[in-house]
Amino acid sequence: MITTVTLNPAIDREYFVEKNEVMKNQFIYNEEDLKIYPGGKGLISAINFKELGYSDVQNIGFVGGKQGLFFEKMVQKHDIISNYIYTESEIRNNVKIIGKDPATYTQYNDYTFEVEKEEVDELIVRFKRSISESDCILIAGSVPEGVDFDIYQRLIKIAKGKDKHVFLQASGEALKLALESEPDVVAPYFKHHKTILDMEMEEKKDYIKAGKKMQEMGAKRVMIPFHCDRILFDKNGDVYQLSPKGYCIINWLGASDAYNTAYLDYAFKTDRFDFIEANLRGGAAALWIAENKEVYLNERKDYNDCLDRLEVNKLEV
Amino acid sequence: MSLVKDYMIRTMNSVTPDDSIRKAIILMYRSEQSVLPVVDHQNQFVGTIYSNNILKNIIPESFGFLDSSRLFYEVNEAVENLKYVKDENVEKYMARNRDAVKENSDMKKIADIMLNNKESLLFVINDEGFLRGFIERSNLLHYLLDEAENHSK
Repeated sequence: MITTVTLNPAIDREYFVEKNEVMKNQFIYNEEDLKIYPGGKGLISAINFKELGYSDVQNIGFVGGKQGLFFEKMVQKHDIISNYIYTESEIRNNVKIIGKDPATYTQYNDYTFEVEKEEVDELIVRFKRSISESDCILIAGSVPEGVDFDIYQRLIKIAKGKDKHVFLQASGEALKLALESEPDVVAPYFKHHKTILDMEMEEKKDYIKAGKKMQEMGAKRVMIPFHCDRILFDKNGDVYQLSPKGYCIINWLGASDAYNTAYLDYAFKTDRFDFIEANLRGGAAALWIAENKEVYLNERKDYNDCLDRLEVNKLEV
Repeated sequence: MSLVKDYMIRTMNSVTPDDSIRKAIILMYRSEQSVLPVVDHQNQFVGTIYSNNILKNIIPESFGFLDSSRLFYEVNEAVENLKYVKDENVEKYMARNRDAVKENSDMKKIADIMLNNKESLLFVINDEGFLRGFIERSNLLHYLLDEAENHSK
């Protein structure tokens, strides 16, 4: 069983229009111009794992209201085991309007979802009993309103107490506090500001400093996105830079989730784990998503074809 | 051969024997399920809690035969009873049955079980007894429709 955690999921709605104009009614008649899907880091990785053939994958988190039940149905349609705490507050809806000519992208992010303390307590209880079958827990994404920033720290502590491997993708204060519980792999992401551990990220040396700091604070291995590259921090102190070559990016959505999935998929399948190899698989999967219109992975073969367009260089630090 | 796992609903929505009845009721109405699986602290299936069972324990004797003149009195009494019952454990009101089906079972077997008893919903477990979800009559009908359409091709 693979467990993924998504505390702040959303229903993502994409509307494709010829031209996005204000003060104008738009009519959508074609099914392909309207996409509605369950969104949230962690969940996309869960769908990827199913696509790669893993039989039991669960997604733990909060969903709320009637729209939360709709969200859950969409998740179950992917054959993922839903494991949700139902909240009083309605789940988020993110609306994206994509204009074709001229190419425009307008996004309305919904941050109205709120979780009660009693619901957080219930999540902790449910998490404890639900990870008994899992060797690996992937925790990813943001924390909803009403949930304290130490939530990831608490979840990781529970998982580590049961000898589980924890992969964390987080940002801001939740990331900072989570490091104390010593997650095995950390992939920070930038949300509203380009900062990690309150440090501004401008030049490569800033990223290296942040990665080292995260390891000092408890992370065993770290992978930081650096433009289209990744800077990799192995647990022995070595630092590498992973770079794609000759690429054409048309889609970011799902790329980091694909990275996490392929990294872990390699880890699950090998007896002799190699950090660089795992990241090459991750990079190849992210590259495949970025160059296609897909959000989810299909087959290993698709992204393995991208492996020869990646290079890894050791950095002297 | 069609298997339960091809038609089931995958969910871990559940309570434990030491959860309160209040928690079970909230979960029932928020998830729109009137029957919940009861699991232990490792997520192993141990029984079932039915909304009907809770109701039977708070609306005394005449449940099912309420006439309108007594309805107001009975509802008030149920509310009073629930004030005590809501803090009691699920364990006291759950059915300790082991009627769960395996996810790798043949759908034909499910048809037998569902048609030969009153269960409209069966919980699904894996070979080790861990909860995986449930299967209900609409899923059985879905399977039967698939069979019917495959036969007519």
